[in-house]
Amino acid sequence: MSEFLFRQTPPAEPIQFDGEKCTNCGRCLEVCMIDVMLPGEKHPIAAYPDECWYCGCCVMECPEGAIRLRHPLMNQTRWVEKASLLKKEKE
Amino acid sequence: MEKSQWPYENRAGCVTRLQADVLVLGGGVAGCMAAAQAARRGQSVILVEKGAAKRSGAGGSGCDHWESAATNPCSTVSPEALLKAMMDDNDGYNNAISHYIECREGWDALLDIERMGGKIRDTEDEFKGAAFRDEKTKLMFAYDYKSRVTLRIWGATFKPAMAAACRKLGVRVFDRVMATTLLTEGGRQGGRCVGAAGFHTRTGEFFVFSAKAVIMAMSRPARVWLFSSGHPGLCEFRPLQCAGDGHAMGWRAGAEFNMMEKSVQAEFSAAGRSFPPYSTGNNHNTWYAASLIDAAGRKIPYADRDGRLLKTVEERYLPAPGQDFFLKGGAVTQAKYEFEGPETLPYEELKKQGYRLAFYADLSDLPELERKVIWGMMVGQEGKTQVPVYQNFTEAGFDPRRHVLQCYGTGWQSAQFLPKERQLFGLPGGFMNDWDLMTNLPGLFVAGDALFASDCYGHAAATGSYAGRKAAAYARKNQRLPLCEEQIEAEKRRVYAPLSADPREGVSWKELNEAIAKAMQNYCGEQKRDELLLSGVELLERYEREVIPKAFAANPHELTRLLEVFDILTVAQVILQACLSRRQSCEKLEFYRPDGDGAEPAPFICLRQEGGRVLRRQVPLDYAGDVKENYEKHNRDYIEEKEAAL
Repeated sequence: MSEFLFRQTPPAEPIQFDGEKCTNCGRCLEVCMIDVMLPGEKHPIAAYPDECWYCGCCVMECPEGAIRLRHPLMNQTRWVEKASLLKKEKE
Repeated sequence: MEKSQWPYENRAGCVTRLQADVLVLGGGVAGCMAAAQAARRGQSVILVEKGAAKRSGAGGSGCDHWESAATNPCSTVSPEALLKAMMDDNDGYNNAISHYIECREGWDALLDIERMGGKIRDTEDEFKGAAFRDEKTKLMFAYDYKSRVTLRIWGATFKPAMAAACRKLGVRVFDRVMATTLLTEGGRQGGRCVGAAGFHTRTGEFFVFSAKAVIMAMSRPARVWLFSSGHPGLCEFRPLQCAGDGHAMGWRAGAEFNMMEKSVQAEFSAAGRSFPPYSTGNNHNTWYAASLIDAAGRKIPYADRDGRLLKTVEERYLPAPGQDFFLKGGAVTQAKYEFEGPETLPYEELKKQGYRLAFYADLSDLPELERKVIWGMMVGQEGKTQVPVYQNFTEAGFDPRRHVLQCYGTGWQSAQFLPKERQLFGLPGGFMNDWDLMTNLPGLFVAGDALFASDCYGHAAATGSYAGRKAAAYARKNQRLPLCEEQIEAEKRRVYAPLSADPREGVSWKELNEAIAKAMQNYCGEQKRDELLLSGVELLERYEREVIPKAFAANPHELTRLLEVFDILTVAQVILQACLSRRQSCEKLEFYRPDGDGAEPAPFICLRQEGGRVLRRQVPLDYAGDVKENYEKHNRDYIEEKEAAL
């Protein structure tokens, strides 16, 4: 088990960086209209994740494909195979 | 990073003064178009943007369709006929001037964006042969394939092209500067607008801008009734930073506002009841006209306005027999019979016929190009869809030929909100304008979402260009006036105060925003009554008196958010005043007054402040007059310019 640490509990973590790919060029940080990020040592830090409106411009701007944006769990919508609905109905 | 460190330089208290002929406030769609237009007309231009102009504004990440381009070469509807429909559909409670500009010049603005580098045609012939494509121009249309006034566009390419064009034209762009006040002649409420002031959202540096003409191109207000401290970025349709700062600073400066009593039952708040727009199954806007099926896979019928069931997908895109065109789009929830387009049967009827929830959007049964244009172009180019919806869903395995996407709710909306959960949507209130898109403050022009009864991208772009043209002409004719130093000093004190407040006693921006939203739900919900509205006025005045002086911000970023909430408080107060001013219910304003006097609803009710007092006047709904005649009278130069270019 790792050591306990104190942190502010985030409601969601919209923006994740791939430390291997990120060159810390800062383009994502500069394009974000809300200024969600602050400069960091290895890559920008999503300092205000709750303010993100999930537009995806940081991902669109990244030349390395180093950012993942994901909707909060509650907003991840569901899809199914159409065939499964028809099959269920037959049964 | 240590908790105490702020990574940017602290320049709080440093003042930078700048001059331009034309000052544009807000670097969204309207602001960029305005700045480019003014610069092309030989004016020195400064553009002030709270975020980063490259992707800022409600349309920054993209847009999939451009409405009301009545003068595009394939349109079968005249700008006059389209405008008349937009006005009639709203019983006249709409902005005839700005929407006529949209109908008449929207196509010009779109061509301008194409010249800047935006993609508006299917140049790769990806959709060759589709029913919605014109083979000659390679333009593609949405909704009504007969009238062809709404174009499908690759809007994710637009905003970076606009921002780059502005820079190329010599516009000085100040990103990360939040304008907080308009500066007026002599510092007087109602005086000529002579500039603006604001601060840098990272360093705290104070900026003072002096200009001959100013264009207000900031957003409509938000977060007035809806707030979530957990997901503030998701609580409205538009971005977090589109908070209504422009409305608030306009009100403080004495600008006149119209239709501020209008609000609608909320439709979009992904922090709470609904989902991120376009990420769920539905059949409106981006997703028009997707097939819907029920839980048993039964196809949900589409019908025309007379209830005639439509047999083919093609018919969903055509007007009814005897109808010239139908209205669909961002600001049209339910058009009147005359303009009503094809629609799936209402839920009550579906329930009777045994259709069962949940419903799903089913693209699998659409013709291939119809499927491909919804999933891949519309979902992809529309704002907020390219990465979190199109890219992420595709990576997770969503295949529109096999999978069906769940709808939440009983129709196209992804949730049902409470009547007291309200939103400024569907042609909300804003700055009152004349035929030059000038406000009552001489030298202050207005464009895009700042205008009353604004709606979408094409409206923002067309009114932006128009305001840029008019402001340039004004700047050429008028001298620069000195700024009022007292007004600047007072604003500096106001802006910086929260940085020195006591964090133990001070309220944060989130706590204050949540309190305002709750107050507005309680006192300014669906039913408007004097007693409730006055209690709301009293409570918000108390917040202004007791909470604002103690509010705390730890850094310039928090200060930005806090000053936005101060602006939201101002806007909420304007809304309460506007609601108190309207004495009768008015359906098209979604305004209900159980204590009304039973008389006919008043026309426009316009409000402004003078010497701190609220002044009201009524304005006839047809104040724009004959739109064609007045447009041509006010735009001879532009019409001649266009003719000369041909």
